[in-house]
Amino acid sequence: MKSPVVAHHTTPSRPLRRAAALLCLAALALPATAAVIEVTATGIDGKPLPETVVFLESREARAAARPLTAVEIEQDKRRFTTRVTVVPVGTEITFPNRDTVRHHVYSFSPAKNFELKLYAGKPANPVLFDKPGIAVLGCNIHDSMVAWVLVVETPYFGLADATGRVRLDNVPPGTYRLRSWHPAMAPGAPAMEEALVVTAAGAHPRLKLPLAASGL
Amino acid sequence: MPDSGEGTDTPARATPVEIATLGDTAPVAGGGTPLLSWLRRWWPQRLSSRIVVIFLGLLLVVQLTGLALVQWSIDRNAHSQLDQDLEIGERIWHRLLVQRASKLALGATVLAADYGFRAAAASDDTDTLRSALDNHGQRIGATVTAMLKPDLTPRAGGESVDPAALQALAPLAPALARQGNALALLGGQPFQLVMVPMKAPQLVGYIVMGFPLDQMLIDDMHAISGLDVALLMHQAGQAERVAVSTLSTAMTDVLLQHPGERQVVMPGFSSAHVVRRIDHPGSTSAEAAGMRTVLLRSLDDAIAPYHPLKTTLAGLTLLGLLVAGAASVFTARRVTTPLRSLVHATEQMGRGDYSQALMHVERPDEIGELSRAFEQMRVSISSHEGAIRRLAYWDRLTGLPNRAQFRDEVKKAIAASAAAADEAGQVRPLAVVMLDLDRFKHVNDVLGYAFGDRLLQGVAERLLRLSVREGDLVARLSGDEFALLLQGADQQAALAVAERVADVFQLPMTMDDHTVDLAAGFGVACWPTHASDADTLINRAEVAMYSAKRKTGSAQVYDPAIDAGSSRSLSLLSELRHAVENDELRLFLQPKLALDGAQPGRFIGAEALVRWQHPTRGMVPPMEFIPFAEQTGFVRHLTLWMLQAVAQEWPALQRLGLTSVSVNLSTRDLLDQELPAKIERIQRRHGMPARAMCLEITESAIMEEPQRALATLNALSAAGFKLSIDDFGTGYSSLAYLKRLPVNELKIDRSFVMAMEKDADDAKIVRSTIDLAHNLGLTVVAEGVENSTVLRLLGELQCDEAQGYHMSRPLPVAEMAAFAARWNAQPTATEAAGA
Repeated sequence: MKSPVVAHHTTPSRPLRRAAALLCLAALALPATAAVIEVTATGIDGKPLPETVVFLESREARAAARPLTAVEIEQDKRRFTTRVTVVPVGTEITFPNRDTVRHHVYSFSPAKNFELKLYAGKPANPVLFDKPGIAVLGCNIHDSMVAWVLVVETPYFGLADATGRVRLDNVPPGTYRLRSWHPAMAPGAPAMEEALVVTAAGAHPRLKLPLAASGL
Repeated sequence: MPDSGEGTDTPARATPVEIATLGDTAPVAGGGTPLLSWLRRWWPQRLSSRIVVIFLGLLLVVQLTGLALVQWSIDRNAHSQLDQDLEIGERIWHRLLVQRASKLALGATVLAADYGFRAAAASDDTDTLRSALDNHGQRIGATVTAMLKPDLTPRAGGESVDPAALQALAPLAPALARQGNALALLGGQPFQLVMVPMKAPQLVGYIVMGFPLDQMLIDDMHAISGLDVALLMHQAGQAERVAVSTLSTAMTDVLLQHPGERQVVMPGFSSAHVVRRIDHPGSTSAEAAGMRTVLLRSLDDAIAPYHPLKTTLAGLTLLGLLVAGAASVFTARRVTTPLRSLVHATEQMGRGDYSQALMHVERPDEIGELSRAFEQMRVSISSHEGAIRRLAYWDRLTGLPNRAQFRDEVKKAIAASAAAADEAGQVRPLAVVMLDLDRFKHVNDVLGYAFGDRLLQGVAERLLRLSVREGDLVARLSGDEFALLLQGADQQAALAVAERVADVFQLPMTMDDHTVDLAAGFGVACWPTHASDADTLINRAEVAMYSAKRKTGSAQVYDPAIDAGSSRSLSLLSELRHAVENDELRLFLQPKLALDGAQPGRFIGAEALVRWQHPTRGMVPPMEFIPFAEQTGFVRHLTLWMLQAVAQEWPALQRLGLTSVSVNLSTRDLLDQELPAKIERIQRRHGMPARAMCLEITESAIMEEPQRALATLNALSAAGFKLSIDDFGTGYSSLAYLKRLPVNELKIDRSFVMAMEKDADDAKIVRSTIDLAHNLGLTVVAEGVENSTVLRLLGELQCDEAQGYHMSRPLPVAEMAAFAARWNAQPTATEAAGA
């Protein structure tokens, strides 16, 4: 399964390319300023939607993306300690097992297909997430365990708090694709996307995801 | 004779039970419907059969009703049991399917969670996926496997799955997603499909697994529910067919031939199968296609548990019928056996046999009552019969057998003699002697009936004393008529007996200070000489007896000659009638002369006589028909004819100088109360004065019934007719009696007149009579004057009138004028008279 996000970049149309060029010029013109973007995510019922993943994409942002280090997703009490983890492309994640039982962490997602066969403690090698996309993680021993890893090509991303708010700092003004995703969205569904022009004054976009927040 | 007033019982009143009504026609009135006529035809005639039929019929109706109710309730129970079984069967079937689906779903779920399977599913390699689907499907026995995308579109089917089947799955997916399982036809085969989500760990698609609905399943169902099961399927444009069933092919064929019917009769079963059909909806996209489960069970099976009950009931019914049949036959016998014996007894009584006492009189019931009534009737009838028999065969006055018994005895004697005939045809003869008392009526009249009765009893005693030997019989036939049956007596012997009896009768009988001279006429007839049968024999004895009485001889043996007249009697009567109607009778007159008065010897009167001018026999003498006419009563017609004829001729006779014409009246005439009126009518019609009509009556005629005769004579006398006593001196009338008679004239009997010439005694009688008559104021006529000497003597004795052959024999009326002329011209006549 191919991510639609990726598809955008691999086959850009001619007018889009021209526009992208203009945007790059604009970004270069205002390199020193950075804005704060506060995104509020709600469900269609208007209620705040925690765990909403928000990230901004643009060519400049992709270029600015750098892998994170020492990212861990622990398994504790037969759960993944973090349900949703967002990492830039190229980040390696380790899956330390804090439980006394072994786990068999796997993912069949196209973004990252891997498995860590029954192990205890900290696996020898971390897993490299080198493709953008969404990887759904499970444990073959414990069907109820589920976690998501969003692999993005941008440094501007965040996870909504309990009030559904996400604050992105140091975002250079420019034109971005504001993308948002939530684990309750249909399996395999791509992140929502909308255009966002970021000025020095920042932005306060309100996102309404096609989910009922109260049902989660 | 006094009637049998002796206290015979009043007839016993039998209880009015009409046996006939018991054997009456069927109690259905009118109506010509076939049922009624059928009933009437088969309705038994005998009471006993009816009792049995009604008894058994009612019982049968009750029993059959009971059986029918039981059968009905068994049927109802069986049906409701079956319905219930089938309903439970349906629930079991549903539950079985659900359980199976759950089990399958569980299996499928486990499979779907299998890591390798999930890994295969996750791989984009369709071949691997299909192979994995097949492989994992086989693990739990699914023959159809497929994977659907999360949006329910097909992703891949198992390797062995027909692409068409995969296509057929697509429309079922939403329903499958809702229910988790469904029944469906895939590739023409019924399947139970289950669909489970595949998570890795989130939903990555759905796994569909199809399990064939196979024989094992329905065998299971059959084992659990005891019902027969058939799984039918139909597809658009195709006839319904059987996928699997617990039934034989022949039975499923029948099932398919009767779609929608609740009851189907299967081959090899006596009763129907009750059928319940369960439709499994929405199996495929085509609405017409689908599956249906048929549950069915034989009524036989449902009824089978009741068989022992039914057998027992049938046995009880049969037993009940037998017992009731025996009881009703017994009851019917108890009623009809006595009835039959009553019928037998009454038939016996009908034949005149009253000897058998009736049975069952001791019974306390209605039969006993009836029997007692019949018994009373039998005793009563029997005593009546005895009385009747006594009356019929015995003479109550004398205690002798009567005519009927005498006749029977004669018959028996003849039969016995005839039967005892020896080889030469010689038989023992027998004879009947009949006797009749003379003047018995006179005795009765004069001395009274009581005396007459005692006289008859005396005669009976004498006869019994005199005549009877072994086998002989004395009987009283009627009033004063007796008969003797003499067995073995021939003519001589019988005659001897008759004469001996006659001799004894000569002795006078003295009773109550009266001495009575008995005289009787005896007639003898013998068998086989005179007659071949009893009736003829008795008749001929009687004929002989009458002949004897006429002759005043004592005994007379039958002679065909005396009977000649009697044999002609019957034809004579009709001939006489004919004679009157056809004017064959002739009026003859015998002249009478006056002996005294102014012109002695003159022709002054005549006696009218009748003659019969028979067309073939010529002139019939009066003796041949007058006695017969008197005997039969026809004489009254003759008398009337005479009176008529005389009255008619009177004017001519008057012209000849006659002053009166005499007509003889018979006993019969005197008994006719209407006679005076009749004579008066005739006399008036022809203008003949009453005085000119002289009516002659014999002494014996008066004596026969003196009272009535006297009444008639008085009436005639009062009417002015001249009355004359004929044949005076031959009878027994007393002078005292004569004195009371209103007569005008005496006619001295010819026997005295004819003999007076030679016999001094007779002459004295004539003289005395004339004197007597004259002293009583009567005129005297002498008849039988046959010569002039007598005529002269009579003249001397001052007899008033004379008649006889000397003057003239009777002449036809037409010759009277000639006679008158001749007589009047004859001087000797007057001379003789005058002398």
